[in-house]
Amino acid sequence: MATAPTRPARPRLSRRGFLRLALLAGIGAGAVAVDRLYRPVGPFNYLRWLARGEIKRRIGPPAIVALGRCPSYSDDVLACLRDLWRQAEMPSVDGKRVLVKPNLVDSIEGRVATTAPQVVGAVVDLLRELRAGEIVVADGPCFRREAWPVVQACGLADVLEARRAQFVDLNYDDPAPVPVRDGWFHRADHLWLPRHVREADLIVSVPKLKTHHWAGVSLSLKNLFGVVPGMVYGWPKNILHMNGIAPSILGLHQSLPPVVAVVDGIVGMEGDGPLFGTPVEHGLLAVGQDALAVDVTCMRAMGLPLDASGHLWLAAWSGMGQAERVEVRGQSLQDLKRLYERPPSS
Amino acid sequence: MVPSASDFLHTSQNADGGWGYLPGQASAVEPTSAAIMGLRDEPKGQSAVEGALSWLSAAQNGDGGWGVARGAVSGWQTGWAILALAAAQGTGDAVTRGTNWLLKVKPAEAQRDDMQKLEATLAIDFTLRGWPWLPGEATWIEPTCLAVLALCAVTRTNESDARVAEAVRYLKDRRCRPGGWNVGNPVMFSQSLPPRTHPTALAVLALSRAAPEQLLPEDLSALRADMRSDGGALALASGLLALRERGDDDAVAAARLAEIQLADGSWNSNVYHTAFALILERGGI
Repeated sequence: MATAPTRPARPRLSRRGFLRLALLAGIGAGAVAVDRLYRPVGPFNYLRWLARGEIKRRIGPPAIVALGRCPSYSDDVLACLRDLWRQAEMPSVDGKRVLVKPNLVDSIEGRVATTAPQVVGAVVDLLRELRAGEIVVADGPCFRREAWPVVQACGLADVLEARRAQFVDLNYDDPAPVPVRDGWFHRADHLWLPRHVREADLIVSVPKLKTHHWAGVSLSLKNLFGVVPGMVYGWPKNILHMNGIAPSILGLHQSLPPVVAVVDGIVGMEGDGPLFGTPVEHGLLAVGQDALAVDVTCMRAMGLPLDASGHLWLAAWSGMGQAERVEVRGQSLQDLKRLYERPPSS
Repeated sequence: MVPSASDFLHTSQNADGGWGYLPGQASAVEPTSAAIMGLRDEPKGQSAVEGALSWLSAAQNGDGGWGVARGAVSGWQTGWAILALAAAQGTGDAVTRGTNWLLKVKPAEAQRDDMQKLEATLAIDFTLRGWPWLPGEATWIEPTCLAVLALCAVTRTNESDARVAEAVRYLKDRRCRPGGWNVGNPVMFSQSLPPRTHPTALAVLALSRAAPEQLLPEDLSALRADMRSDGGALALASGLLALRERGDDDAVAAARLAEIQLADGSWNSNVYHTAFALILERGGI
């Protein structure tokens, strides 16, 4: 007689097994929740920046920022700069390839939105005195496909010609991809950068001291936007806005050769910067090896709190440079302090 | 004999048939396309043009578009490549695939809250679609005009006509207060942005093909004023190109352009700038 087929025994989940599964599911759900909370940066980057910032604030060595009073462009800007460079204990440039990056955002009649040519000329002169190996002045304007008209309109062409100094339009300077560092570009693992930027041993960022309607202030870090080549990203380099202005500024700084700062605050700009603001006769020059420390110090000299600038706040929080332990040399910050009108914001 | 602009282009052509923006640089789509447009009617330029067309065809991406160079992500350069291929070879498979890419490319989509804030700040209508420099980004004047010029140069369809019509509304919306166009928005925090020559010239060329009745006399006045004030080779060449498209001219600007030509026949030793001047000399896009 045939026997009825028996059903195979169903595997039973033990209580311990069930608890293990529940624990694993809980950890997985928690990881997903944390990842979503910190997207697009991710929890790893968040914790890394947090820890770096804490270390920088508590035990990081202080940064030196040298401030000088230079009432007008007809004064001896080079002498002032030379003194500040020494006081700030700037790095040796002997034999190095140095890229001088002024702010040449655009020329608009009746506005002073660009770095003064006298300051750029003084930086070139000083670098020559200090025996830099190769010096180029370079920028890639955001609003014009040709840089030279801006160079001419702001008076820089004459200054460079008098010194036989080379200008490079970074919008067309043989770009190649460079890996981005420090996790600030969440949509890209590389960024195309111009040849002279890639090959520089040192970048001297020489911005105009300005307010900025999107970034709060435009100083040595914001000035780095100009190195991104228009021939790859278009005009005005929209990738940086799509990635977020603050993370793009920080990501650029971290992916470039070392950046030091010389800020032209002899005539600054308040209110509706970076193009339509009002000139401020401030008489300030600032020099330092730590671009963040210089920018934060300049913000204080403008009478603005750190949280008025998203990228500087974020750079300070993430320990990209020194923002709290800053030793000011030369003129006192109090003597050079003004109260800048804030920019409009959305 | 003094070298001409076409001599400069011939001597700066790469062995692979393309041109970089500057001599010695790797070949790139935009200067190569502009050089084809500049040399295509010149009898002695035919072998250079053929080499460039081969390079351009090989540089087309699998998605149908073109990027800055071979293998780079497709972007605004697609408009230039279509213009060059259509002018030199007529409509073929490469042009059709390029056109399809142009019609499908998606700009960034702003969130509703952001849109309201930005509309107030920039005084623009975010619902109107133009074209971005690169996919997923905001839309701007220059890539929009290049796309319109390209779509007007190929066989038109209902879909392309609809996108061109929308782009015309986009250009009207982005017009600067005194006429002409800046790179994108006309206003920033209630401050009028000044018109700039290159985007204005491209907008005049695009509207001349797509909807000439939408051009205003103020656009040409703004173009003329900024072209003279800018004084750069690209502004002068593109500005004159747009003025001549409208049957107008500017003798002062033309004289200035001739004056700043370099001894090697180029303008700024830049292939793209020089090709623009040559396109002007040859009678337009």
